[in-house]
Amino acid sequence: MNRPIRILLGLALAAAALAGCGTSSDHQLRLAMSALETPTPTVHSSATPSPKCKHLTASLRPPATMPTAGAMPAGSFMRRIQDRGYLIAGVNAGAYKFGYLNPATGQIEGFEIDLVRELARAIFNDPNRYRLVALSVPQRLPAAQHDRVDIVVDTVTINCYRKTQVDFSTVYYGAQQRVLVPSNSKATSIAAFAGRRVCASAQSAPIDVMEALPRPPKPLGLPQAIDCLVYMQEGRVPAISTDDSILLGFKAQDPNTKIIGASLAPVPYGMAINQAHPEFVRFVNGVLAKLRADGTWRALYDKWLGGIPGSNPVLPAAQYDG
Amino acid sequence: MWIPDPEVSVEGAGIAAAPGPARSRSARAGLALGWVRARLATTPGRLVLTSIIVVVGVAVFGIIATGAEQSRERAVRAARVDTEPLLVHAAQLYTALSDANATVATGLLGLGGVEPPAARARYFHDLRVATDALTALARGADTAAARAARGTIADQLPVYAADVEAARANNRQRFPIGAAYLRQAAALMTASMLPAAEHVYAAEAFRLGDNYRSGTSSTTLVALAVAVAVALVPLLFAQRYLTRISHRIFNLPVLIATVALIGVSVWALVGMTGEQNALATAQRNGSDPLEALSAANVLLSRAQGDLSLTLVNRGNDTTDPADFAAVKRVLTSTHLAPGFTSDLASYWAAAARLQRLQDNGQLGVAIDQAPGVAAISQRLSGQLGDQIAAAQARFAQSASDAASSLSGLWLAIPLVTVLAAALAFLGLRIRINEYR
Repeated sequence: MNRPIRILLGLALAAAALAGCGTSSDHQLRLAMSALETPTPTVHSSATPSPKCKHLTASLRPPATMPTAGAMPAGSFMRRIQDRGYLIAGVNAGAYKFGYLNPATGQIEGFEIDLVRELARAIFNDPNRYRLVALSVPQRLPAAQHDRVDIVVDTVTINCYRKTQVDFSTVYYGAQQRVLVPSNSKATSIAAFAGRRVCASAQSAPIDVMEALPRPPKPLGLPQAIDCLVYMQEGRVPAISTDDSILLGFKAQDPNTKIIGASLAPVPYGMAINQAHPEFVRFVNGVLAKLRADGTWRALYDKWLGGIPGSNPVLPAAQYDG
Repeated sequence: MWIPDPEVSVEGAGIAAAPGPARSRSARAGLALGWVRARLATTPGRLVLTSIIVVVGVAVFGIIATGAEQSRERAVRAARVDTEPLLVHAAQLYTALSDANATVATGLLGLGGVEPPAARARYFHDLRVATDALTALARGADTAAARAARGTIADQLPVYAADVEAARANNRQRFPIGAAYLRQAAALMTASMLPAAEHVYAAEAFRLGDNYRSGTSSTTLVALAVAVAVALVPLLFAQRYLTRISHRIFNLPVLIATVALIGVSVWALVGMTGEQNALATAQRNGSDPLEALSAANVLLSRAQGDLSLTLVNRGNDTTDPADFAAVKRVLTSTHLAPGFTSDLASYWAAAARLQRLQDNGQLGVAIDQAPGVAAISQRLSGQLGDQIAAAQARFAQSASDAASSLSGLWLAIPLVTVLAAALAFLGLRIRINEYR
């Protein structure tokens, strides 16, 4: 009887030994899948407090005599820029006609860029001595605060909270919040959109303004204002409300649109400067005063935005408080 | 299978006819037991019993061994002609979609608003590969989730392509809204289409994994060993019994049946072990590297897409740089493409140079140099593609080895089973007849 048992045992042993030879494991697959499932990090933007302040648009008075271009006073921030050889400005690269990258040239161009050129001219007597850094909205004020750039000329609206973070120049453009609709729209003002969707960039001042209206629309916030134009072209929103500077750029890209109604709110743009450099704020205000007085500001505005129907060259008088 | 002994069947028929409808099951069992006990009392009776047990044992072997062999063969065939080719299609779908997204962002980025013809050709090639793969995958995993994922891609691909064309048209007018259309297209791709493609890919990969498991399951081998024992032990016992009651050392038919059974068992064991090893090799050297390299390729495209979109967004973008950093971390820390560490390092270095240019306010220069960085990524992706093709060839070779390890067994096992049963019955029958 032991022969069958021996054979049986032998077979079982052989089977067990052979079974261990080639086995499958999905370890590799799980590794690959977990790598593929790498999530896109979410970038949080925090809501900003909105304190109250007096003389919102007032800035520092220009010096009694402006320094001569190419001879900035020793020890001043302007002198540091002059010694470096170029001015560094943080700008918008996506606001058509205001500050945008021209794909034909690879250069950022527009009304705000020409203002940067005037600043460079005042420091170096050469408008080409500048470098531009394209900034996203959350990067704008920190770029000035941490001296990554000398000045931010990037459609920054002056408000009381931001004034605690940076110094602002006098207003260099008096934008107005208005409404853009398709040209066949019968609406004549924001009132036509009470309870309907109106697009703006997410967590922006235009949304707050719309929500404060007596018969408010339902604001739709998208990552960037230009995304709203995509939505309007696709018929997904009937209207966009934001700064007219931006809306004019939209109109230039899509002639089948029109700007309607009165201003919903004034939107004063200021150049943002590190609070450690008040002499530079005064210097910039001096340059702006000269551009305003000699007609350069108006000429630059007309060069970039004058040709767009509905353009609104508003430059409020400079206000000083110190 | 076996010709019934007329005597046995007459007796059997008598028993079967005897129990009336009123008779209980235990009474019937008692009758059967009585019949067995009656057989055990005489030598011919014992021989009849032995022949029944031997034939049943051999038949059980035949059924189990055929089942085991068939389960292995089915798994190998499914892996070879069904699930692995579909996994390759799913990987192509996934890679083509992510490459399309990276290519179009890079192509539209170029200065002058004119897309390089090569970039456009590559984009359309990617779309063709994706739609072909999607068509092939129609016979893929048949779960509701997999069907829904394929439906998502089929529905959204035209929307994606339309957004890309709107981006292209606006870009040619030098309008910044072109970048917004591209961003919308990219968002559709990364938020919806690529996750769906990943689902399709995972479904096919796990299906192949199931085939591997049943194709290399040790349960099958153990079942085979048990089946061999079930047939062999009665045969050997019968042989001994015959030797004892007769004066011959061997009963030739029973001996031949035993040898044939041992022979086919060894063949099946060796064949199935060979198949199992070949299939494990197909996974280790074929589909495992294929999966890892495909993942590396997809992640590389994702990084390149992020890099290009960051530039397309002209600095007005915080998500894409963050995603780029996350993908870079994963590609660096996991060793998905072990042969490409230094190539990847040079790609990261080139990407970092672009990032620095952008931070230093030289966006135009960065955009000018971006095609060079994209070329590194495309070259790397091409090399990954070659390696994926090589892994695919290794899979095909090993899977074909696995299939040929089993060849012939489908016929040999049933044939030998019938032969062994008939011979064993015959051998015992000769002895039984000696008592008539």
